[in-house]
Amino acid sequence: MTDVLGLPVVAMWQQKSRTALTTLGVVFGSFVLAASLSIHQGVQETIEREAHRSDVLRRINVQSNWSRPASTVPAKNVVVEGKMSEARRTRIRRALANYQNSLGGDKPAALLTPETLRKLAQLKHVESVEPDVSQNGFVVFDGRDLPIHIESARPRDVAYAKRLVAGGFFEGPAEQAAVVHEFLLYRLGVIDEDAVESVLGRTIRIEIRRAQYGPGVRVYLIKPDGTVPSLEETGALAKINARLPALLEKLDLPAEEIELLRRAAEDAPPPAAEEYELELAIVGVIRAASEFEEKERRWWESLGGSDGSIVLPYQTAADLFFRTPSQRERGASSAVLFVNREENVEQVFKQVTDLGLSGQSALEIIKRERLMWLLVFGGMTCIAAVALMVAALGIANTMLMSVLERTREIGVMKAVGAADAHVLTIFLVEGVLIGLAGGALGVLLAWVASFPGDAWVRSMVSRDMKIELRETVFLFPPWLALTVVLFSVVVTTLATVYPARRAAKTDPVAALRHE
Amino acid sequence: MSSTTEFAIRTTSLTKRYGATAAPVYALREVTLDVERGQRVALLGKSGSGKSTLLNMIGGLDRPTAGGLTVAGRDLEHLSGRELASFRSRSVGMIFQSFNLVLSRTALENVELPMVFAGLPPRERRGEARRALEAVGLAARLDHRPAQLSGGENQRVAVARALVNRPEVVLADEPTGNLDSATAHEVAALILNHVRDHGATLVLVTHDEELAGQCTERVVRLKDGRLMDPD
Repeated sequence: MTDVLGLPVVAMWQQKSRTALTTLGVVFGSFVLAASLSIHQGVQETIEREAHRSDVLRRINVQSNWSRPASTVPAKNVVVEGKMSEARRTRIRRALANYQNSLGGDKPAALLTPETLRKLAQLKHVESVEPDVSQNGFVVFDGRDLPIHIESARPRDVAYAKRLVAGGFFEGPAEQAAVVHEFLLYRLGVIDEDAVESVLGRTIRIEIRRAQYGPGVRVYLIKPDGTVPSLEETGALAKINARLPALLEKLDLPAEEIELLRRAAEDAPPPAAEEYELELAIVGVIRAASEFEEKERRWWESLGGSDGSIVLPYQTAADLFFRTPSQRERGASSAVLFVNREENVEQVFKQVTDLGLSGQSALEIIKRERLMWLLVFGGMTCIAAVALMVAALGIANTMLMSVLERTREIGVMKAVGAADAHVLTIFLVEGVLIGLAGGALGVLLAWVASFPGDAWVRSMVSRDMKIELRETVFLFPPWLALTVVLFSVVVTTLATVYPARRAAKTDPVAALRHE
Repeated sequence: MSSTTEFAIRTTSLTKRYGATAAPVYALREVTLDVERGQRVALLGKSGSGKSTLLNMIGGLDRPTAGGLTVAGRDLEHLSGRELASFRSRSVGMIFQSFNLVLSRTALENVELPMVFAGLPPRERRGEARRALEAVGLAARLDHRPAQLSGGENQRVAVARALVNRPEVVLADEPTGNLDSATAHEVAALILNHVRDHGATLVLVTHDEELAGQCTERVVRLKDGRLMDPD
């Protein structure tokens, strides 16, 4: 049988043009398949590589959950009056429950209070919990005070560390230290560059004086220039609010209105004092991020320190934040959880949502991107498969034509001893050879096209997404070439089966009479 | 009755019918014929008398509708398709009026074909093919394709192909029909010499009475599918 294999090679060589055109169809289909497989491999690896550059995949952003399902609102709070259909009554009842929730009359689902943060820290696989406890306050240094924004950061945070102009960064999360912005120092009177180093090791005082926003009758100061009240102004307001109930009598108002205000003031709980101080050592000075750093920043990376800010280790900042009763009750707006390993993120995420909190993880985003890419890849592969099927139809047609044209030749072969199996083999081998040649050429073409293709993709990603890819997005592992060639061989061979069977069943007597 | 081994060809009421049973057409009707080993028989008859049909059946190219057929000791009726193909490549050599060479292959490759399907190794079959072509005077035409050869040369290639496997039975269907008289004599002589040299049995279909007289020792006539001179 092996000697018979030479016959199809000769036959194909005799019909060079036809063989070339038939093979071209397979080349095209294989090219598309190889290119889609290759870019799928490359993009998948690129996504994984870029995601693993930082610890973003181990990170979960957690937020307090202020909304509760409508079903948790007590029935007595959602009585719907009036005549209406049941469908409308259900809609109004639901809207009423959501309205009740928005009023905050009932406790929200879950808040990031110190207790909740402790629970999160104790969850299995959680490495650290870093609440977002940024707040406004005042800084006092060398007899000057300024309103400031207090931020928190992880020890050895790379984004901050890159922008140190003096000193160092925190070593531990509860270190009693601060890193200040050079612009803040400038406003505090540290003008010359040489003087910046001299602040290291010195003490800076942070004061928190919280205005009393809450139920009752209060006096607030809203400044026309939009700046926050100064330390002195805040202190004066606190004194006024403390004495306000007694001052109502002195207002030139009708007695009923004074009585109304007095009841409102008396019904409200007395404002709690919210004034705290903290003294910290300055361990470092940072500069603002450059334009380039802002451009290069990924969405999960912190720029680190807005202008005029002071940065504390996150635990130190949290301790300061939660000294305020209202903030302790309200909790932090968000927190970042770091999980020990990527594969544990899903489990931790479930535990977070089981606590009633809401959250997002980059892993979810990456999964969605992977899914999206999988859909795109699936689409491309379908197109490739369709292209190969079309090529297969062309091959079947061409082979049928070839069988017809070679009817007499088939009759001669049978007359000199060819069995049906010989004839079948000859034509099937032609299909296999077309698949082999077409598949191999298609892979080669895809590989060659990957060079300009890769350059184009990189320039597009750099221009639109500001990401410089270091590796190619087209990958050609050995299994890819084998798979494409094998697939094209299978497709072309299947396309040849019917024509080959036709040829094998040819009646030699009739074939020898064929012109 | 002589034993089967003395006969190269034995047919018993061989019949070939085409068409529906209501109005069939008989190409052969109950032909009983015995041809001894080494005998040279001419099949004569008008067109449509069934000569080629009988030859095709003896050569294993066609199957009878009814009757028995034994060639070179093989009961063709009970051979499978593969066995029949093997029979055709080893036991029988067929020569056709229109040569029936594969146009895309050289003279040497055409002569090799029966040996390819018989499973002979390449070196052996190449040598045999070369000798066969030399024997028919075409040593200088080994690599020529049929389109590059004359009619006589093409028929010589066909003769070489038919005889290369030294078949027991040689079947020639109007082998000189497309040749001029001089070439026809040369080709006929080639066939006759081989048959005599190797003791092969020859069945020659022809219209040419002179050729029949030259090449054969017995004449069998067919008319309307029946033997006119049965044994």
